[in-house]
Amino acid sequence: MKKRITAFLLTAVMLLGALAGCGGPANNSGDGSGDGGNGGDNTSRSLKIRKVNSLASTDYDVVTYTEDMSILSDNVFQGLYGMDEAGGGYCKLLAKDVAISEDGITYTITLVDATFQNGDAVKASDVKFSYDRAMATERFNYVTDMIDSVEVQDDKTVVFTLKYPYSAIDHTFFSIKITSEREITEAGASYGTTAHTAATGPYAISKYDPAGGLTLTAYDGYWGGAPAIKTVEYVLITEDSAAVIAYENGEIDFMNNAPTSDWEALVSASGDNNAVLKGNSIRTLYINYQSTTNNSILANDLVRQAICYAVDKNAINTVATSGLGTTSDEYILSDYVATAPEAKDFETYSYNPEKAKELLLQAGYTEADLAAGVSVGTLTTYGPATGEKAKAAQVVQANLKAVGLLCEIDVADSNINVPKLKAHDFDLGIYGDSGNYDFNNIRQQVLVDGGYCIVDLTGNPGELDYSKVESLLADGIAETDIAARKAIYTELWSMVADTATMHPYMNMPVAVVWSSALNPGDGAQSPTYYHLNTFSWK
Amino acid sequence: MHRYILKRIAFLIPTILGVTFIIYAVLNITPSSPGQAILGPSASPAAIEEFNHQVGYDQPFLTKYFNYVKNMVTKADFGISYFTKQSVFNEVWPRFMVTIKLSLSGVALAALIGVPLGILAAVKQYSLLDTIPSVLSFFIAAIPSFVLGMVLLLVFAQQLKILPSYGLDTWKHYIMPILAIAIPPAAQNMRFTKSSMLEAIRQDYVRTARAKGAPERTVIWKHALRNALMPVVTQIGMSLGLLICGSVVIEKMFTLPGIGSLIIDRINFKDEPIIIAGVILISICFTVVMLLVDIIYAFIDPRIKAKYSNAKG
Repeated sequence: MKKRITAFLLTAVMLLGALAGCGGPANNSGDGSGDGGNGGDNTSRSLKIRKVNSLASTDYDVVTYTEDMSILSDNVFQGLYGMDEAGGGYCKLLAKDVAISEDGITYTITLVDATFQNGDAVKASDVKFSYDRAMATERFNYVTDMIDSVEVQDDKTVVFTLKYPYSAIDHTFFSIKITSEREITEAGASYGTTAHTAATGPYAISKYDPAGGLTLTAYDGYWGGAPAIKTVEYVLITEDSAAVIAYENGEIDFMNNAPTSDWEALVSASGDNNAVLKGNSIRTLYINYQSTTNNSILANDLVRQAICYAVDKNAINTVATSGLGTTSDEYILSDYVATAPEAKDFETYSYNPEKAKELLLQAGYTEADLAAGVSVGTLTTYGPATGEKAKAAQVVQANLKAVGLLCEIDVADSNINVPKLKAHDFDLGIYGDSGNYDFNNIRQQVLVDGGYCIVDLTGNPGELDYSKVESLLADGIAETDIAARKAIYTELWSMVADTATMHPYMNMPVAVVWSSALNPGDGAQSPTYYHLNTFSWK
Repeated sequence: MHRYILKRIAFLIPTILGVTFIIYAVLNITPSSPGQAILGPSASPAAIEEFNHQVGYDQPFLTKYFNYVKNMVTKADFGISYFTKQSVFNEVWPRFMVTIKLSLSGVALAALIGVPLGILAAVKQYSLLDTIPSVLSFFIAAIPSFVLGMVLLLVFAQQLKILPSYGLDTWKHYIMPILAIAIPPAAQNMRFTKSSMLEAIRQDYVRTARAKGAPERTVIWKHALRNALMPVVTQIGMSLGLLICGSVVIEKMFTLPGIGSLIIDRINFKDEPIIIAGVILISICFTVVMLLVDIIYAFIDPRIKAKYSNAKG
């Protein structure tokens, strides 16, 4: 009898555990009751936004993914400069006035009368603290290595001394966010692992759970005015299909970077409340002229040019993004960057398979060779096997085959194939680059120092004079006049484009949908850095 | 019996050591590093190196492994996540509990539906109460949970808009995930119970009970069911173990913060401490479930009971 009772109890424990699973807090986040566009009083309503990946930290200096930066930048953390993509790029934010010395070395910056979300006034010492903190991190080297020192002049004035004139300093002033020295020092090692009030933006992180997303609460003391929407919940939904259903069910109010594979369904569900924006994210086909594959076939300038002419950018766009992207010849988009060369000002390789074949014949290959297929090695890219880069690789493979060139495709996780690309261990490669708001960023792709570049141009492919590339980059960064910088960069990019080693093909789309109850402010115009304090309920 | 239980618990130690070693070895064989994975494609090699050094990833494999095991055994310390820099235990435990709740709920529902229907089908063999559930279970058992989950989402969230599609905030949020988890094993439970009951009903001791004039209810519940339950209990235990290990698909589909989805997400970032802690918890849980099944089995099966009594005597 005793044992029978024990058996019964064991079973009961299992059942009770099961029933306990049906409990939980009573607050309802998304009851599936409507389209998210219902009328009524919205003043206390939370804005729900889909988030694709877990947020690694609440410390801006630690986050690395564009999605996290677009959420935290300007909305929570602010730099001396902010980002206004819809209105022309960098803009002053915590910097009220900026005085530049004649030699372009010293920047004296007066701060606006702002407070941190903890109520403390923003002081020049906080600026110095924030820059010193970033400069101690290897990751920020590319935006801080031109800074010699940051000094406090008075509570509201900070002086930056550069090692050399650097006209792209706006990018640095945007990238480094100003944080509260007091709060971060007090938090110690726990800073970044919990909610905090150490930033100056219109929203503070009030709840943070890597597993469930994060909640932002409006900071009513914000120096730019209290935001209209008081609570913003970022909901972690990793699967695209689940996010689409959540939007259709009225559980999500705003989705930036909505899945383009389900765009028709989203358009159907959103009515007029959607937009496809031109994102600041480029896809480029790289041709490694140093590859030794097939007797160093890619060292031949004519073969590389033939490859560029063989690529049908429209077909890639149709296959990879359902036609929502934009074909491109510009590595850094002139739409977003005033100093970027425009495609009309340099030679481009428009789709021309006949010319590609002609170039291959000139290179010494016979019709019979091309009919049998000449191998150019492997096209290496990364991301999901069904992702846009993999699809683009398949189109390129078909395009090359049409002109008599053969290539294999190697698609793997970015952790595996990106290091191969950066080590120049590839024949053809597809790589994505984003977030370039000054043409000076091209240095990461053309200079070998730093380990970012995919093709090592120091071997002077084609007619290239690498030392000229270095000198033009130096000239560009020393020049302050925008038109003059643009002319310098046009000369530089023309030289690089002539090598037929970097062939930009497509600009990625950013699909945005929102609830009919929401006025999405600049969220309907800014592909990356939208500002939540421009959002409001209708 | 106590010795048996202790022996099974002791068996956990080599299991955990084996699991940690295999996972550590597999993660170290795979290319890339947490620095590359977490800092992203645009990170410089110097930044990646700095990150790997900070989190201790650049230490030799065996040093890392022994330090991990030492800290786990001596301090119950599972380490710090490479990705979030938070305590691994604090991240893993709440999500493990979510998976346990869901799996237990699913198994309980599957048992509550499947076992009575199986008994009914066996007792009323060849009637509609047997034919309809048997045919339905034949089809339902063949439907994977993720297909069922997608159908539920499309019907109840997308079309009817009566149930939320993600999260676990209210009781409504539990309905679809639990149904998706419970229905396929419920069909299997029903089929198991029915065949087991049919076999038991035809045994001599049941015939004897009936001949002695025992009421039909007593014959079914006391004599037949008790014997028929043994394979059913094993089936339920196995399905609980499988649900805990395989809940990732449902967790991803309904955006539930469970242990399976956590492990999958962190594999992308090569977050070794989280992955290993998650796998260890699942291993322990699976072993404990199997132990519980064995204990229950021992209580139900008179032969095992007799064996232990004899051993004692």
